[in-house]
Amino acid sequence: MKATVENIKEVIVEAEVLGDVAEMKSDIALSEQGIDSLDIVNVYLLLEEKFDVQIPDEDLEQVRTINAIVEYINNKLA
Amino acid sequence: MLGIQEIASYLPEKKVSNYDKKEKFELDDDFIENKIGVKFHTLKDDDEKASDLCVKAFANLTKKLDSTKDNIDCCVVVTQNPDFNIPHTSAIVHGKLGLPQSCACFDISLGCSGYIYGLSNIIAFMQSNGLKNGLLFTADPYSDIIDHDDKNTDLIFGDGATVTYISENALYIPTDFSFGTNGSAYKDILCDDKLTMNGRAVFNFTATTIPKHIKAQLEKKELEDNDIDKYILHQGSKYIVDTIRKRLKIDESKVPFDMYEYGNTVSSAVPIILEKEMLNKENNRMLLAAYGIGLSWGSAIVEKI
Repeated sequence: MKATVENIKEVIVEAEVLGDVAEMKSDIALSEQGIDSLDIVNVYLLLEEKFDVQIPDEDLEQVRTINAIVEYINNKLA
Repeated sequence: MLGIQEIASYLPEKKVSNYDKKEKFELDDDFIENKIGVKFHTLKDDDEKASDLCVKAFANLTKKLDSTKDNIDCCVVVTQNPDFNIPHTSAIVHGKLGLPQSCACFDISLGCSGYIYGLSNIIAFMQSNGLKNGLLFTADPYSDIIDHDDKNTDLIFGDGATVTYISENALYIPTDFSFGTNGSAYKDILCDDKLTMNGRAVFNFTATTIPKHIKAQLEKKELEDNDIDKYILHQGSKYIVDTIRKRLKIDESKVPFDMYEYGNTVSSAVPIILEKEMLNKENNRMLLAAYGIGLSWGSAIVEKI
């Protein structure tokens, strides 16, 4: 399954973060849009499970925004 | 049949407020209350050791139980912060309590999963050796090993101790135990001088391993969620407890969360809650689950006699 902005947002909804996920910007860091450090960890876990990829700690700087997550996951899946 | 007759706990009166650390660690009230779930964490006196906390827990036990120390034939202490490297802390507790010389004493070195392993070990040891009256202590004072500049650990842990009285006048007996270890991840929670914890790795471990473990145990015993009155989960953080609960699709009313006023007391976390839940007559069957350092985990099903 390819990653898209839509299905990444679905994962963020599944993490039950505060705020309106539909209004989230794809090019601003999740941490700057009200998602705290624990929710971000949960989002990454859900992404790993949904797309069957690993996001090691050293790659976390590459997955700070929704657009970056989409690119990262699709590169991993390619 | 040997089982849990009574439990008593001890929490120091002195507390440290996480609200006082908001500026230092850039926190808000919601994060403190609803994510970590620790508003205050308890703090022992500087000169107190694990054995002292055990003695105080025992003092609270004697207020509940009309029993003599002369009958005690087994004393086990679960700790990874012993009074000294040598001797075992249970021997020191034995001396401080004046237990009989016929009493067997040993320590179990486990952290958060320690109560489950301790419960299994003390009952099996007592059964094998014809012993009748045992004390299972948990006392792991983390205040001695916390780095107060580490946000991952400074906000969570509190000092405390419990004692579980094991006898043939049991109120609850364990009917199944299940254990697990992932030693390749031992560095995720480590103490050389001070405690360090890889928060992300520990969260991922608890969120993925523990729901599967609990499901497997229920299946093994041909039980369903309806058959369990309460799930007493190790209080790693509110976020971890909520995540496990949601992944298992368990009703929130069946998963007590209790550590707002005292913090994560390591191996004392489960028995502190069990002490309270044993008083509820509707709790006929409970599942206890604890997980953490090692990485180690365990669960037990306990049933009212």
